[in-house]
This record gives sequence, C-alpha cells and structure tokens, in this order.
Amino acid sequence: MFSSTPYALHRRLPALEGGHADWPRLIQAYQAMATIRCFDKKAVNLQRTGQLGTYASCLGAEAITVGAGLALQDSDYFVPYYRDHATQHLRGVPLYQILQYWGGDERGNAFPADTAAARDLPNCVPIASQLTQAAGIATKAKLRHEPAAVLATCGDGATSRGDFYESLNVAGVWQLPLVLMVNNNQWAISVPGQLQTASKTLAHKAEAAGIEGIRVDGNDLPAMLDVLDYALDKARHGKGATLVEAVSYRLSDHTTADDASRYRKASDLHAAWQREPVARLRQALVDAGHWDAEQEKDWQAHCQQEVDKAVKTYLDQPPQSPTDMFDYLYANLPVSLEKQRAALTESAGGHHA
Amino acid sequence: MPYFTLPDLGEGLQEAEVVEWLVKEGDTVKVDDLLLSVETAKAIVDIPAPRDGTVATLFVHNGDLIHTGEPLLAFEGEEGSGSQSVVGKLQSQEDTDNPDHFVVGAVGGTPAVQTTPAIRSLASHLGVKLEQLRGSGPGGTITIEDVQQQASLKQSHGDSTPLKGVARSMAKAMASAGQQVVPVSLFDQVSVSHWPADTDITLRLIRAIVAGCRVEPAVNAWFDGDRLSMRIVEKVDLGIAVDTPDGLFVPVLRDVANREPDDLRDGLNHLRKDVEQRKIPAKELQGATLSLSNFGTLGGRFATPVVVPPQVAIIGAGKRFTQPGIKDGELFEDVQLPISLTFDHRALNGGQAARFLAALLADLAD
Repeated sequence: MFSSTPYALHRRLPALEGGHADWPRLIQAYQAMATIRCFDKKAVNLQRTGQLGTYASCLGAEAITVGAGLALQDSDYFVPYYRDHATQHLRGVPLYQILQYWGGDERGNAFPADTAAARDLPNCVPIASQLTQAAGIATKAKLRHEPAAVLATCGDGATSRGDFYESLNVAGVWQLPLVLMVNNNQWAISVPGQLQTASKTLAHKAEAAGIEGIRVDGNDLPAMLDVLDYALDKARHGKGATLVEAVSYRLSDHTTADDASRYRKASDLHAAWQREPVARLRQALVDAGHWDAEQEKDWQAHCQQEVDKAVKTYLDQPPQSPTDMFDYLYANLPVSLEKQRAALTESAGGHHA
Repeated sequence: MPYFTLPDLGEGLQEAEVVEWLVKEGDTVKVDDLLLSVETAKAIVDIPAPRDGTVATLFVHNGDLIHTGEPLLAFEGEEGSGSQSVVGKLQSQEDTDNPDHFVVGAVGGTPAVQTTPAIRSLASHLGVKLEQLRGSGPGGTITIEDVQQQASLKQSHGDSTPLKGVARSMAKAMASAGQQVVPVSLFDQVSVSHWPADTDITLRLIRAIVAGCRVEPAVNAWFDGDRLSMRIVEKVDLGIAVDTPDGLFVPVLRDVANREPDDLRDGLNHLRKDVEQRKIPAKELQGATLSLSNFGTLGGRFATPVVVPPQVAIIGAGKRFTQPGIKDGELFEDVQLPISLTFDHRALNGGQAARFLAALLADLAD
C-alpha cells in the first residue's frame, strides 16, 4: 500500500478522495483534537501561574497523537515520549491525571486499571530510552504469541541517539511487532532538522534495519490513520516492524522552559500555522457536510467544561505523600530502598506528610 | 487580599524582569487573560491571570527585577478566597522549631554519597556504611579500594559509630567555624582571693563580661565573613556552654547587661533545667552575641575555645588554683582565676581584644 512509492509523503487531506471515508471515526478524531488543544492551552497557563511544573505542549501534533490513540487497539501497547497527551487520554488516562504527572505528582502515572492505558508505559522524558523498552515489550509479545502491536513514539532529535538505532535493528532482525513513530516536528529544542541528520528523510533510516519506512503528513489526520492502521495491523499479524515518520511542525515552544522565538523565524512559524492539523480536519468535515458552526460552538464549550473540571479535580487533590517517589517506582522495593523509605517516613514525621 | 506571586517560570530560574504590564490597577480580569510579560534568563514569558478578579495593586513596574515567590499583584477581596491552591510548585519551607536539630552557627548540608550500584552492593555485602567513607575517586566518589580498606579496618578495629543529634550538630558547627574563623587567643589570670566563699562565679563572670563590653563594644557583635560586614550589637545575649550527657548545648541568656543578679540566676537555672530535660526550644539556642565557657567547674586552666560565627569572641574561665602571693611583704595563699579569650581576627584587632580583657579582669579583681 505504501511501499510502492517508498518515502513519498502520504497525504489524504483535503480531498479525502475515493469517498470511502469513515466519517464517524473522523468526527471522533476531530473532537479529540479539539479537546486536547483546549487542554494544552490551559496546561501552559497553569504552568505560567505556578500551578503546574514544566510542561511539553502538543500544539501542532494533534493529528499524530490523536491518530495514534484511535489506531491502537485495547490489546496493543503504547510507549510514549512526552508529547502524546491525546493518545494517553484516548487510551483511558483522565485529563486530571495528565496534569498530575506534569505537576510532579507520581499519582498521575497510576493509570486506571480498567483501561487500555494500564498496559502502557508512562511518559518518557529522557530521549529515546523508551524505544529500547518498547523493543523489549514487543519481544515479549512475540515470544508469547500475543496478537498485539507495540507503538512507540519519539521526536526527531531522538533519531540521533544510539537507543533509536539499536531498537530499530532488533525490530528488524527479530521481526518484532513494533511500530516506531517519529514525530518529525522539525525542531529538537533549538536544533533544526538540517543540523540533525544528513539522511534524506528520517524514514530512510528504516533501510539499514531492513524494515519498512513510511513518511506521512503529520498534519493530515486521515493519512495518519491510514498509515497507523496499516503498520499496527501488520505488526499484529507477525509481518514485521515499521518506522513511521510523521512530518509536522512544532507550533509551540519546546516546553514551557523554552522560548522558540529566540531561534526560529516568525515567518516560518506563520507559514506552519497555515498547515496546522486541527483547522484542516475541521475544514474537511465542514466541506463534506459532516460538521457545522453550531456543532463547533457546542463542542468548544464542552471542551472548556471538561478541561475546567479536570483542572479543578487536579487542584483539589490532597498533597502527595513523599514516600510516593518510592511506591510508584518499584513493584517490589529493593532492601536498600526500603531503608531509605523508612528513613524518609521517619524524618518527614508530621512535618511534611 | 489574595496575592499572585511570581512562579518559577523555567526550571529553577529565580528571577525575571518585568517587560510590560498589560493591565493596570482597577482593571477587571478573567482567568487566563494576559497580565504581563516578563523576561527570564531563558525566555520572554506571558503570564496569564490565575483567577477572575479586580486588580487592586501592582507591586512591580515595567523594568523591575522580581524574584520567584515575590508578589506581582494583589486582587481585591478576602485573603484565602482562592488565589492559587498551588499544587505543582515547590516552596522552600524553613525548618521551624525542631528541637532535635541544635545548630550553633552556620552548618552546610551533607553531600550525598556518590558511587556506583556495584560498589553499593559490595559495601552492603561487607557491612561497610558508605556514608562513613571519604571517597578517593574523582569528585569524591567512593571507589572499590575505599570500601575494601574500610572493610579490613572494620575487621581489625571494629566498627565506627556515626555521630547523632547534638554531637553531630556540634561536629558540623565546629568544622564550619574552624574553616571560617581566624582565631587568636589571649590568656591571663586574676586574683580572686578576696571573693566571699558563697560567690556565684558564673554571675560574677557575666558581670565582668558586661564591663568588658562597655569598654570595647565591638566584642559584642556579629560578623558576616561573606560580605565582610560587621554589626555591633547593643544587647548582650550571652551563649552559655552547658555540658550534658548528650553533648554540648549553648543556650542563650538574654540581655545580661540590664538584669538583676537574682533574675539572671533564675534564668540560668531555667536554661540549665530545660537543657538537662531536653526540653529547650531551638530558638533558645540561637542568636548569641558572645559566649562564655565556664569549663573550670570541671577542670583545666587555659583553653582556646572556638568562636562560632557570626559571633566574634568567646571567653573561657578555667579552674581556680592557689599560688603564693605577696602582700605588704608577707607571703600568703592567693587564689587565681585563669581567663582565656579567643577572638576572630577578621573582625577584631589585638588592641580591642586586649582592652576588653583588661576591663573584664579589672571587674573580676574589684
């Protein structure tokens, strides 16, 4: 389906040609994208007012993170980096728990047990280390003959790391049920793509590992679904791993601790906004008669309500216990850490607990 | 009024410059409306309103430098009407009145043990406590040799015991003092054979110290070695060393220059009792302007007691002793009180110290 024209950028919008679009699914996708954009804006404001820690915005990555959430099945595994808020939410993590995580509260990583998220890994802030873990999970799924795929994500900067190549290599040689998706948003903090690699595209890096590489327009939600449906299905059926390069543009700062205006041109950012994913999908839905201004207004109000509710739940949580840093790290605490935990409990006393 | 303070906008950035206010006093704002932009070392950041409200006061102006935790503005209304219930923000909290932490002078933190998991595992296997080791590796990291050496030492000479509580605090405070202070000691002795048998020696010493301070006020002072600044303190708050089975305590007897002897004796008895019962609050151990160690009740004539910053001097009184004296050509059994004075030569010079000591001795001889 995609290998006939290797590394050509796969696109569907705005035409959605063929007329066989799954409109309910696209509407669901749009709603999730609008929700996460509303959430994202609020999260940044919470950080700016001292109510959240450093936060990584997913502005401009909505089609990628929502596409992943919709393409994954409950029996699959998701191994995120740190811009995958919508995927986590669609897998079953409540918005307030996502805020907890970014507020430095370990309880944000205790994903609800009755959801698909319970099999997923938490956010990974170190660059690319999650990819080796994903390869490990995929190895386990393969050895146990699970009909499941593992989807791991990373940014373009991560493709320069050894962990990336190692994971890609074992994915190829062991025929792992792994889909490795790079959100190529053009910027690794302040390092632009042309300083990151001499490779023609990031998808080309699949070549050396002997797996399929696909480039897709990361601002094009239907195209994202095409590619992820295909790659995940392939993995579930034991037909090997895929490297997906989703080309997008980071419309936000790297994190709330960054100021992108210091290293990139306003004109580039302005041009990128013309291709942003949320408005593009909305326009396609409106053009096809599947969305209108009234629905838009209602949905925006709904998003705001959901986000306000999540913020309130987050802010109303009782303070976390200092021992959470041990209790959320290990299933069984090693003896040495048990001692540290006991010492902390003792010294915390009535003071901080 | 509910305040809105400058949050940590980056990762540990402590200050920001106000670039521009977008609201003024009296304006009504809604949550997430932009209030102002500030510039940190990393970024220009727009700060939105944390809540709905009317701006009562702006505390900083365009171009001002502001630190995290300082107020940006106040909203009209009652305190506690929900400015921010801050969840994600770490606020430094001072350790208040914790009676288990007696700290004399400035004490630094304990650096964490640095080594590798394999060496930790080896140490655990050999029963070696890493926190008792001094690492010989790069940057003070603990090496395999350090652990092995400690293990063989332990085998031949037994285990060492880590200091706890008061003893630990003393060790740290003295180490810190030893690193900072430039000590000089003066010794002298004075005849006290004329003192009545029931003389309260401690009170007599306090009186003499006050007399010394009148002549040389600079001895009763705090010295800041980092800023090289000196604050001569009017009130004499005297730290008095008390030996207990648990270790050394230095409770502070306040305003000794302006209190009657009976009152001082009561105060002393109280402090001593509180110390012995381990009930003394931490604040009673802080803020001394000068110290007295009356070690002579136990033994020893002269000493070089340690000046604990920010104080600049400490007086030591030794055990009284007899020696032959001559008065009107007649030999007699004279009683001498030995006095030691250590001062910080960064803060005081020898002349000041000698004048203080002379006045102190004159009062004792009186």
